[in-house]
Formats: sequence, structure tokens, C-alpha cells
Amino acid sequence: MEVFLSSYGAAIVQMALAGVLALSLYLPLMAGQLSLASPGFYAVGGYTAALLSTTVFTGYANGSYPIPLIVVEMVIAGGVSALFALIIGIPSLRLRGIYLALATIAFIEILRVFALNQPWLGGAVGIYNIPQPFFSATRIEYLLLALPLLFGAMFFVARLERSRVGRAFIALREDELAASAMGVRPTYYKVLAFTLGAVLAGMAGALNAHILNTWNARQGTFDLSILILAYVLVGGSRTFLGPVIGGAFLVALPEIILREIAGAPGLNPVIATFLRDGRLILFGVLIAVSVFFFPYGLITPELFKRRRKKPEKVTVEAAKPTPNVRGGNL
Amino acid sequence: MSKVSLSKRLIVFAIAALLAVAPSALLAQAQEVEPIVIGVAVAQTSNVALLGQEQVIGAQIAEEFFNARGGVNGRPIRLAFADTGGDEAGAINAFQTLINRENVVGILGPTLSQQAFAADPIADQAGVPVIAPSNTARGIPQIGRFIFRVSAPVAIVAPNAVKQALKQNPDIKRVAVFYAQNDAFSVSETGTFQQTVKDLELELLDVQTFQTTDTDFTTQITNVLPLDPQLVIISGLAADGGNLVKQLRELGYEGAIVGGNGLNTANIFPVCQELCDGILIAQAYSYQYDSEVNNAFREAYKAKQEKEPPQFSGQAFAGIQVFVEALTNLDNRKPLKDLDLATLRAELREEIMKGKFDTPLGPISFEETKKDDGSPAGGELVQEQFYVAQIQMDPGGATGRFVFVD
Repeated sequence: MEVFLSSYGAAIVQMALAGVLALSLYLPLMAGQLSLASPGFYAVGGYTAALLSTTVFTGYANGSYPIPLIVVEMVIAGGVSALFALIIGIPSLRLRGIYLALATIAFIEILRVFALNQPWLGGAVGIYNIPQPFFSATRIEYLLLALPLLFGAMFFVARLERSRVGRAFIALREDELAASAMGVRPTYYKVLAFTLGAVLAGMAGALNAHILNTWNARQGTFDLSILILAYVLVGGSRTFLGPVIGGAFLVALPEIILREIAGAPGLNPVIATFLRDGRLILFGVLIAVSVFFFPYGLITPELFKRRRKKPEKVTVEAAKPTPNVRGGNL
Repeated sequence: MSKVSLSKRLIVFAIAALLAVAPSALLAQAQEVEPIVIGVAVAQTSNVALLGQEQVIGAQIAEEFFNARGGVNGRPIRLAFADTGGDEAGAINAFQTLINRENVVGILGPTLSQQAFAADPIADQAGVPVIAPSNTARGIPQIGRFIFRVSAPVAIVAPNAVKQALKQNPDIKRVAVFYAQNDAFSVSETGTFQQTVKDLELELLDVQTFQTTDTDFTTQITNVLPLDPQLVIISGLAADGGNLVKQLRELGYEGAIVGGNGLNTANIFPVCQELCDGILIAQAYSYQYDSEVNNAFREAYKAKQEKEPPQFSGQAFAGIQVFVEALTNLDNRKPLKDLDLATLRAELREEIMKGKFDTPLGPISFEETKKDDGSPAGGELVQEQFYVAQIQMDPGGATGRFVFVD
């Protein structure tokens, strides 16, 4: 167990963060907006924490950086991301579907090139020697911060889904025209969903800057957009549990294939080499297969409904076909 | 007692005897051949894999070479490979696997400097020596006491090409500099080049910028040519750098050209073809370097890959060599079998720092560095020899090669 935790500590923490990032994409998707901007806010959050911890909150020896300061950084990073989201969201959320996706890709590209060219952000090498709160080589202690963030985000989204605002999001997703006819302000709720997602991504970035010990322009690029989208698609985009489980699953999978299955003793060396070098092929095939067989993702709301409904007895009256009062098809 | 029970007893006795003898026999055998495990964490997949694969080949050749020579005083070495992929999280996972599951004595890796900033602190906290085969950024050995590198930083390698240009034409006075603004490596490299120009008391006529995605450089060239430069220094990547050279020559520039590390690849041959001829590029490794170990390495590489070994393979070989020779020195001082893993790792760090190693890169050693706060850090490379290669194109411009000059 100890060897397991010390070997996979960082990977387990990354699984939790993947869940947070997936939720950050799930939120705009709840309001029907396909935004790929999460990695952009994730990068903003990471840079915010990296700058704060290396230039403002200095003077702590390695391993003794106070945890409350990291929480402060996460809050500030969330705020900065929200600000960015408002500035970008208000004009770009007038775009729809594929155009919004393109605009958000442009946003992360602009951020990446900007960061690459700014000496105060460290250029390509980035900002490094980010102070550590734990004096340990395993990184598993970061679960103390990552799990509350994940569970907090899950709780928030779960409550949101049942609130007035959440129902407005879902109404927009199902039919924007009908929703606005019912008095739901489309731009307001879209920007709200976008901003809430940005806050989550920014906080995840802030935490990950400490976990990785370094932050640079290679974090939060278009590759990550696609990965996060895969978390949501594979996990399921109709309930908040889907993205969380999809994220954890897809982060763990390549590691399991690489370190456990390919490294198993007595495995044919040809197969082992294929598993090692071709694991990304395998990864892609699994995503394709899962989307093909589970088009709504692995976790769907029906899974829970069916289980809940089972004990209920179907009364004879309810089972009777109701007469069509409207008389004919509408 | 019946007969049956006697035979049963005999069988039980026989089995017990076998059980008692077999493991000890196996154990003795295992102890005799149990190799010393050295970790290799480089990018075997992702877009960095082109470099990582070269490093894997270099490390594998080193493993065969040193095991054929008796390993560490008769005990063989075994390389444990862990793929880092191209990102920081992958590097951390690979390091943790090597340290905690493979129980390596030291790690060669990772491929990128950015990955080193993420993964090296983990090895440093665990007290595991790391030798970086290709991290050239500033601040790598300063990450921690256990961090070393065999890859010379740009600031030390690059100026040699300018000095070579002056050697070929001592009349050079007027210099123009071009660099790719959107490539951070080029930005930091051009800083080094411009400093070198100042240090050598040359006249810096003009500094022009471009983007790595540009294909048309006529504006920048037209700005510079009227100033009549005698030397042009370019920091960029292969495609843009090659095109810039091509257009410089087409527009009539006849002076010397020095290229940065981004142009240090045969991939520029198809871009500037015949016009690539004569570009000078500084190198940290030369396959033509004449020493016993480099000749052996070059032979082994050519036998496997049917081409001359590149810098990345040479540096990876050198990294493994430093581990093997430091382990041998340590074994001579304190037998390795008497040391527990933590002590072995700590002692190995001291041995690497003290040692002098005759590698394919030439003679190298390490000097102590300090962190910003003055606390002790890792070992920066001290490399005695650097090399400069000049591109030589065949007539027609279809093929060419890097020829080392001195």
C-alpha cells in the first residue's frame, strides 16, 4: 500500500483535479454552450498562484508553505479567472455551437502565445521553484486540498442542478428560444455558467501549480481542451457525476496501461512494447468505442432513476392507457 | 508404524529437504547476478519523443557497453525505463515509479527542462541522484543537491560558433542578429549571442525579429543588407531559419552565417538546400571526437542505427557512464553490498560530484552550485571541449552533412 501510494500519489491527485476541470467544462455545457476555454482559465489560475507564491507570499522555507495561503491563492485565482471569463464571455457567448468553440480555442492560443512572450511569466521555461506546503516526495498530501475542492465543486454543481439557476441553464440547453420566451435571460445565464466554470478551472490551475512545482506556457493548451472534452463525453454530460468519473477514469487509464499492465511480469515483450508505446492508440480506441456504445456517456441520469423507481409498485390504474383527451395527434 | 506411513514420511522429508535447499540455492544465484538498477525517465512518447528515442538508444548502448566491461566491479547494471511523455505530470509519475517501485540508485532524465522543474524536486526530496541528459535551461542544478546535468547550457555552447566565424575570417567587425520572437528558446539564445558580440567588441548593426511561422523574410533582410553586415547570427527553428538563410543568400548576402541550436538539425537541408552551405553551428558533442570511449560508442551506434550518433544519444551515454563510474568508485571505497539504498543514493551523489569522467563528450566533471538563498545545490557541468560544425551541402543541394571544424 505504501509503495502504491508513493508511486501513484501524484496520479491520484491528478485524477481529482481532472474531475474539477471536467466540471468546469460541464457547467457551460449545462447551459448548452460548448466552450473549450477551461484550459485557458486553468492556465490563468496557475500563473496567478505561481506569481503570488514566488513574488508576494515569500519567505517560507521549502516544505513549510502555509496551506491557508494556498487557499487564498486559489480564491484569488478563481476571482481573476472570473474577471477574464466576464470580459471574454459577454461578447463571445453571443456566438453559438461550433463558433463559440472556435472563439474559445482562439482564447487559449492567445493566452499561450502571450505567456510565451512575457519575461515576467518566465517565457517558455516558465515560473519554477513554486514553494511546497508539504515536505514529502509523494505529493499524495495534496489530496487534502484537491479532494475538498473536488467535493465542494460536486456539491455546488449538484445543488445548482436543482436550483432555479440550474433549471434556467437546462432550459437554455434544451431550447434557447423557448427558454427566453419563458423569461430566461439567455446571455445572463450563459455568461454565469461560463464564469462559474472559469472559477473552477482557475482554482484547479492554482492548486496544480503547487503540485507540479512549476508553471509554464505548455500548461492549459488546446491538447488539454480536447482531453477535458473527452472526460465529459466519456463520463456523460447529463449529470455532474459523469464528468467527475470520466476525468478520474481517463487520467488513471494510461497510467494503469503503462505501469501495471505493460509492466506485468511474464508478459510477452512484443505485447508489452505495444502497450507501452501504443498506449495512446489504445486510449484513443477506448474513447471512440465508449462514445460509440455509450453515446450519452458512462454515467447517465437514467442509471439513478431506474434504481430509485424499482421498489415502487405500479398500480393498475396508472398502467391503464389514458384516453387521449386532445383527440388526435398534435 | 506401517510401511505406507514410512514412504509418506520419506516423501515429506524429501519435499522438506527440497524446500529447504531450493530457495537458498536460488537466493545464492540471485545474489550473484542481481544487477544495480539505474532509472531512465525520458519522453518515449508524445511530440518530444524524437529526442527521447535518441536518448533511449544512447542509454541502451551504454548499458551493453559497460556490462560487457564487467559493470560495477563485476556486478552488472540494469536500466529501468519509465516513459515520461511530454508533460510535467507524466515526468512526476515516471520519477515516482522509478524511485519507489524500481528502487533505482539514480535517474537519467527527464528530456525537457520544464519537466525537470516539476520532477526533479521529487527525486531531490527522496535523496535520489538525477543526471539530466538534455536540460539546458538556467537553474537546473540549482533545483536541489541531488541534481546534475551533462548538457551544457546554451550560454556556454553558443558563443563558440561566433568565435569560429572570427577564426575563419578575422576581419569580421559588423554583425546583424535575427531571432524568432515567439520561440522562447530563441529569445534566450539571442541574448547570449548579442552578449557574445559585445564581449568580442564587434559592432552590432541591427537586431531583426521574425515569427517561427513566417515564410517571407524580405522586409527584415532589406532592412539589414544596406548596413553591409559581415556576419549574420540566426536564432530560430528549422523551417523558418532555413528559409531565412535561403532568402539572405538569394538577396545577395555573401558573408558568414552562424545558426543557433534550432538550426542544428538535418531538417534544414531540404529548406535552404545548396544555400545552407557554410552555416556554422556550435555543438556540445562531436562524433568525430577521438577518444577510446567515443570511438566505441560511435561504432556501437552506427552498427545499430546506420548513421552517426547525434548529441542527444551521446549525452545519454555520458549520463549512464557517470553513474557507472561513480558507482565503481564508491564500491572501491565502500562495498555497495554493505550499504542500504538510502545511504547508497546519498554516497553516490558525493561520488558523482567528486569524479572526473572521460565521456564521449570529452572529459567532464561537476562543480557545486548554490540556490538563491545560498544553500547548497546540485552539480553544474564542467565540460572542457566544445565543437563547431559547418554545414556542407553536396552539389545539387539534395543532401548534405555537418562537418566538424576546429
